[in-house]
Amino acid sequence: MMPTLRAASVRHLLRHPAQLALALIGLTLGVGTIVAVDVATASSQRAFELSLQAVNGAATHQITGGPRGIDERLYAQLRTQAAAGVPLRFAPLVTGYVTVGERTMQLIGVDPFAAAELAGEGRVAAAPDPATDGVEGLRRWLTEPGAVVMSAAAAQELGLNGRFDVTVGGVRQRATLIGRIADAGPGLDAALLTDIAQAQEWLGAVGRLSRIDVRVAGGAPDAALAWLRAHLPADLELHATRAQARETFAMTDAFTTNLKAMSLLALLVGAFLIYGAVSFAVLQRRATLAVLRALGATRGEVLAVVLGEAAVLGVVGSLCGVLLGVALGRGLVGLVSQTINDLYFVVTVNQVTVPVSGVVAALCAGPATALAAALLPALEVAASAPQLGLARSVLETRAVRVARALAAVSALLAVGAGLIAWVSGRSLLAGFATLFMLLLSVAAVTPAALRVLAQAAARLGARLSPVARLACGDIAASLSRTGVASAALGMALTAMIGVAIMVESFRESLREWLIHTLRADVYVSAPGPAEASQRRLDPAVIRALLATPGIRDHSESRRVEVASPRGALDLNAVRLAHASYAALQFTQGDAAHAWPQFARGAILVSEPLAWRLGLAPHDTLTLTTAAGPRAFAVAGVYREYGNDRGEVLMSLGTYQRLWADEAISGLGIYLAPGVEARRAVGELRAAAGGRQALLIRSNADIRALSMGIFERTFVITRVLYWLAAGVAAVALVSALLAWELERSRELAILRSLGLTPRGTALLVLAQTTFMGVAALAAAIPAGLLTALVLTGVINRRAFGWQIDLHLTPAQFTDALWLALGAALAAGVYPAWRSARAPLAQGLREE
Amino acid sequence: MRRSRTRAVIRLALAGAAACAMSAAPPPAQLRPGAGLAPAGFAQALAPWTFAFPRDHGPHPQFRQEWWYVSGNLDAASGERVGFELTFFRFALQPGAALAPEPAAASAWRTREIYMAHFAIADVQRRRFRFARKLSRAALGLAGAQAAPLHVWIDDWSLEGAAEAVFAAPWRLRAAQPGYELELTLQAQAPPVLNGEAGLSRKSGEPGDATYYYSIPRLSVRGRLIREGHPLGLQGLAWLDREWGSGGLSAPEVGWDWFALQLNDGTALMFYALRDRDDTRDPHSAGTWVEAAGRSRPLSNEEVSIEVTDHWSNAQGTRYPALWRLRVPALALELNVRPVLADQELRTTPDYWEGAVDVSGARAGRSIAGRGYVELVGYAPERPRHDETGVPGRLGR
Repeated sequence: MMPTLRAASVRHLLRHPAQLALALIGLTLGVGTIVAVDVATASSQRAFELSLQAVNGAATHQITGGPRGIDERLYAQLRTQAAAGVPLRFAPLVTGYVTVGERTMQLIGVDPFAAAELAGEGRVAAAPDPATDGVEGLRRWLTEPGAVVMSAAAAQELGLNGRFDVTVGGVRQRATLIGRIADAGPGLDAALLTDIAQAQEWLGAVGRLSRIDVRVAGGAPDAALAWLRAHLPADLELHATRAQARETFAMTDAFTTNLKAMSLLALLVGAFLIYGAVSFAVLQRRATLAVLRALGATRGEVLAVVLGEAAVLGVVGSLCGVLLGVALGRGLVGLVSQTINDLYFVVTVNQVTVPVSGVVAALCAGPATALAAALLPALEVAASAPQLGLARSVLETRAVRVARALAAVSALLAVGAGLIAWVSGRSLLAGFATLFMLLLSVAAVTPAALRVLAQAAARLGARLSPVARLACGDIAASLSRTGVASAALGMALTAMIGVAIMVESFRESLREWLIHTLRADVYVSAPGPAEASQRRLDPAVIRALLATPGIRDHSESRRVEVASPRGALDLNAVRLAHASYAALQFTQGDAAHAWPQFARGAILVSEPLAWRLGLAPHDTLTLTTAAGPRAFAVAGVYREYGNDRGEVLMSLGTYQRLWADEAISGLGIYLAPGVEARRAVGELRAAAGGRQALLIRSNADIRALSMGIFERTFVITRVLYWLAAGVAAVALVSALLAWELERSRELAILRSLGLTPRGTALLVLAQTTFMGVAALAAAIPAGLLTALVLTGVINRRAFGWQIDLHLTPAQFTDALWLALGAALAAGVYPAWRSARAPLAQGLREE
Repeated sequence: MRRSRTRAVIRLALAGAAACAMSAAPPPAQLRPGAGLAPAGFAQALAPWTFAFPRDHGPHPQFRQEWWYVSGNLDAASGERVGFELTFFRFALQPGAALAPEPAAASAWRTREIYMAHFAIADVQRRRFRFARKLSRAALGLAGAQAAPLHVWIDDWSLEGAAEAVFAAPWRLRAAQPGYELELTLQAQAPPVLNGEAGLSRKSGEPGDATYYYSIPRLSVRGRLIREGHPLGLQGLAWLDREWGSGGLSAPEVGWDWFALQLNDGTALMFYALRDRDDTRDPHSAGTWVEAAGRSRPLSNEEVSIEVTDHWSNAQGTRYPALWRLRVPALALELNVRPVLADQELRTTPDYWEGAVDVSGARAGRSIAGRGYVELVGYAPERPRHDETGVPGRLGR
C-alpha cells in the first residue's frame, strides 16, 4: 500500500504548487530569520574576538588597572624581577580610539620588542629580510613622529597614503603611514598600530599603560601566576584573556537574547503556516485517503505518509531558510554592530561568520517544527474511520471540538504564563517562556473566539440580509480552515501590538526622563567612542570655557570604568550644580537622606545596576580604588535609561581622593537668565579655540541625539517584527486562498440562486475581512497583555528598567493595516475568480 | 672584531620590527654594505682614540653601535665543566638625542637606541647547549648602559663594573634563562689590551669601516650557576671584548672566524679571519698576541695560518668548521683548536656558532694547552622571509 500512498502524496503536492510554495516560503522565512540573527550576532562576536586577538594573540592573561590604567614603572619592575625562574612573558599596550576621516579606529600602541617576545621565538623568524628593509622600518617606527601601520585593506578603503590627519580626543594629529599589513586578518581592519610612545603622547596617557598582556610560557603556570599576583599592586587585576573577552561580550547578552527571541517568534508563526498547509493538504485528500484506507492502507501508513510530507517540506524549507538566513544575516550584521557600537563597545564587522552550531540548530528546528505542526492533522486523518473520512461534516464537528479544547488549553497556557512570571523571579529565559506561552495562548483561543464572533455576527446579519448571515455562518461552520489562519494572524498581531506598545512606552519614558534629567543648558564633553576614561577635557580648556560670560553655574563629571569583585562597573563621579540635584529621580531611598550621605562618600546606583547586582539602599558595593578594594554604602537607587549595564554615581571629591584622578570628562553648564543656548554654544566653541575639538551641545541637541540612538537600536526589533508579520500574512493568505478556492462549488450554487458576480466578490471579501478584524479584535487585549509582559517582565529582567506604559492609537495602526491588508490580499483573487467563473463549470465539480 | 655584529644587531632589530607588522614596510632604503650604513651625524672611527678607563667601559652614544662581550670556561669542584657567553649590543637608529614632539609631553618610551643580548651556556657534562636572547628599547630602564661605574643591562641580565678606577676591581655578571641562572664575579688579571693600531681596528680599505677595539684577555671568575634550581659553584677564566664604531661590513666580506684563546702559560691569542664572498681570507684579517706579563703585539693577516681539519653540520645542513690548526711561525706557535661540544650554534637571527673550545699544541717546542671561545659567522643561509608556518611576520601572530 505504501507505494500507492506515496505516489498519491507526490501527485497531490505537485498538482498544488502554489500551496506547496506558500508553505515553503513560511518555513523558509522562519528558519531564515533565526539563522540571520545567529549570523549577525556571531559575526559581531567574532569580529570582537579577532580584534582582541589581533594584538598579542598569544597572551594567556592580562593585567588591567583602574581608570588611569597601569603605571608603566610596574611593567619595568615586572620585567626585571621576573627572572628566568618565572616563565612569564609580558607585553604592554596603550589603547584608545582615534578618528580617521569618518571612521573610528582603535589606536593600539605596542612595544614591538615585547610583542615579538610574547609571540615566541618561532614567530619572530617571520621577519622580512633584515639586511634590506628592516632597520629602516624599525628606525621609522621608533623615531618618526606619527608613524603608524594599518592593514592594507583599511588603508585602501580610506584612501590613505603617506601623511594624513587623525583626531585623538578631539585634537588633530599628523600621522604617517609607514607600513601596510598586506594579509592582515579581519581583526586588524579597524586598528591603527603605532609605537607605544606615540600612543601615550597622542592619548595624553604618558606614564600609563592600558593593559599588560601576559603569556605563561610553559613551566608551572599556577606557580607563575601566583608569583605574579603577589607582585601586583592592590588596584590591578589579573584575568585570563579568554574570560575577559567573554565577559566583555557578555555585556550584549540581554540584547542578543532579545534578538533570538524575536527570531523564534518568526519560526513559531512559520509553524502555523506549515500546520495550515499540511492540514489543508490532508483535507483535500480526505476522500482519496479514505478510499485507500478502505482498500487496506493502515493507520500507520497514512500517518507515515503525511508526516513524511511534512518532513520533506521541513528539510527543503530549512535548507532554503539557511541560505536566506545567511543572506539576511549579511544585512542584519550592520544593524547589530551599529547597536553594539551605540551601546557597548566599538566593533567593526567586515566578515560574516556563519556559525555551524546555528546552522545545525536551524536545520533541526525547521523539520522539527514542520513535524510538530503536521502531527495534529496527520493523527487526525489517520485516526478517522475510513467511511467517516468521506464526510466533511464529521471533520467540522471535530474542528469545533478541537477549538473548544484549545480554548481550555489557552486558558491553561495563560494561567501557566502568569504563574511562571510570578514564580521565576529574575530569569530572563523564564520571561521569554512567559511571553511565548502568552502568544500561544492567544493562538489557541482564536479559533473558538472566531466561531463565537462569527455565530454572533451571523445572527446579527440575518436581520440585514440572508447573504450576510450566510457569509458569517460559513466562517463559523468552516472552522477547520478559518481557525488556523486566524490563529496565526492573531498571534502575529498580538506580538506586533505588544512590541509597538513596548517601544512607544520606552520611548516616552526615555523622553520624559531626558527632560527631567537634562537640567543644564549646555553640555560639554570630549568626543570619542566608548573607553570613557580616555575622554577627558584639557584643564586649560575647562578654565577657558568657564571664563565665558553668561555662565551661572556648572556641574562636572568624570566617567570611568572601575574594577570590582563583581566585574567592571561604569562609574560617574559628579560635582553637581545646585539645580542638578533635582534631576535625579529616586526609585528607592529618598533625596532628603541620600544626598547628605552621598556628600559623605556614599554612592547612588542606577536602576539597571541595582537590578543586576541586587542592590538596595543600606547595602554596600565594593569597588577597587587606587588603594585596593573598598566598600561603599548605597544611599539610593535612581532612574536611568542611558546605560543598560547600569552605573554608580559618586561625588567627584570622593572619587578624586580615592582614585587619584583629577581628570574631567564633561561639564554641564547653566546659563544666566536671558542667555540664549545657541549663542552660548557658539561662544563656548570659540573659547575652546583650536586646542581641543569638543562636543558642545545644547540641552535640546542632546535630547534629539539620545532619541536618535534609541530609534537606531530599535530598528532591528522592527525589522524582525515585520519579518514575523510577513510570515503571518503569508499564512493567512495561503489558508484563505485555499479555503475560498475549495468553495468554488458553493459559490457557484449561490450565483445560480441569483447572487450577482459583484455580490459574490463582496461576499468573499467580507468573509476574509471579517476574519482579519476578528483576529485583530482578539489581538488587541492580548497585545496589551504582551506589552505588559515585555515591559514589566522582559525589559525589567534584561536591563532592570521600569518602563511606564504609554498607550496611543498609533500603536495599533500597524496591526490594523496588517490585518486588513492580509485579509484583503487573501480575498481579492478568490473574489475575482468566483465572480468570473462560468457557473456551469463550478456546478459540474459537484 | 665582531664589527659585523652590526649586522646581527640589524637582523635582530628587524626581528623586532617584524612584530611591528613591518612585513609590508615601504621600499627599503638600501642597507647593503657600504650604502649609507653610517648615516651622517654619527661619529666615525677614523683616527686613534685616547682610551681612558673606566670611561671607555661605558657606552659611546655618538657611535652607532657597540658591544660588550664576555665569554669564559669554568670548572666546578666536582670536575664538571661549563662554558658561557654573554653579549650586550647597543644600536642607535638615529644620531642625536632621543626624539620627542614636545619635551613636556614626551613618553618615557621614546628612544633612538635599542639593545640586544645573547646568553649561552655550554653544559659540557650533560652535552647540552642552551641560549636565550633579549631585545629591548633603551627606555624606561628596561635596557641601557652607563659608565663609571659600568652598568649595561636588559631586564635582569647585566654586567656591572666597580666604582673604583683600578683595573683589578671586581665586576659582576648576571643572566638567566630557563634552567640556567648565572651569577659571576670577574676580576681582570691585567689592564685592557688595545687591538689593531693602538685600539683602532680597520676592517677594510674603507676609512669608515673601522672600530675602536680593546680586550681584557684574562679575567678570573668565581661564582655559581643555578642549574634547574641546584646551585653549582664555579671558577675559571673569562675574556672581555669591547668594540664600537659606526661603519658596516665591507662589500666582499661575508663573515668571519674569530678565536679568543687563553693558554696555560699565561699568554693569550686573539685572531679574526674575515672571509670574502669567494671563500678566501680577506687581507684585513688580524689579531693580537698577549704575553703573560700583559705586553701585546698585533698579528697581521700574513703571520697566522689556519687550517680547517674537520667540519660539523647542523640539522639544516649548514656546515661549520669544527677543528682547526693555527700556526704563528713568528711566535713558534702551533695550536690545535677543538670544540668541547659540536653543536654550539645559536639559532637566532641570524644563526651563528659561538662555542667553548679546548686548545693543545706547542710553543717553541714545548707542549702547551689552553681553552677559549670561537665565533663562526656567515655560514648559515639567510633566513627566508616566511617562517615554516608560511605566515609572514605581523604583530604577535
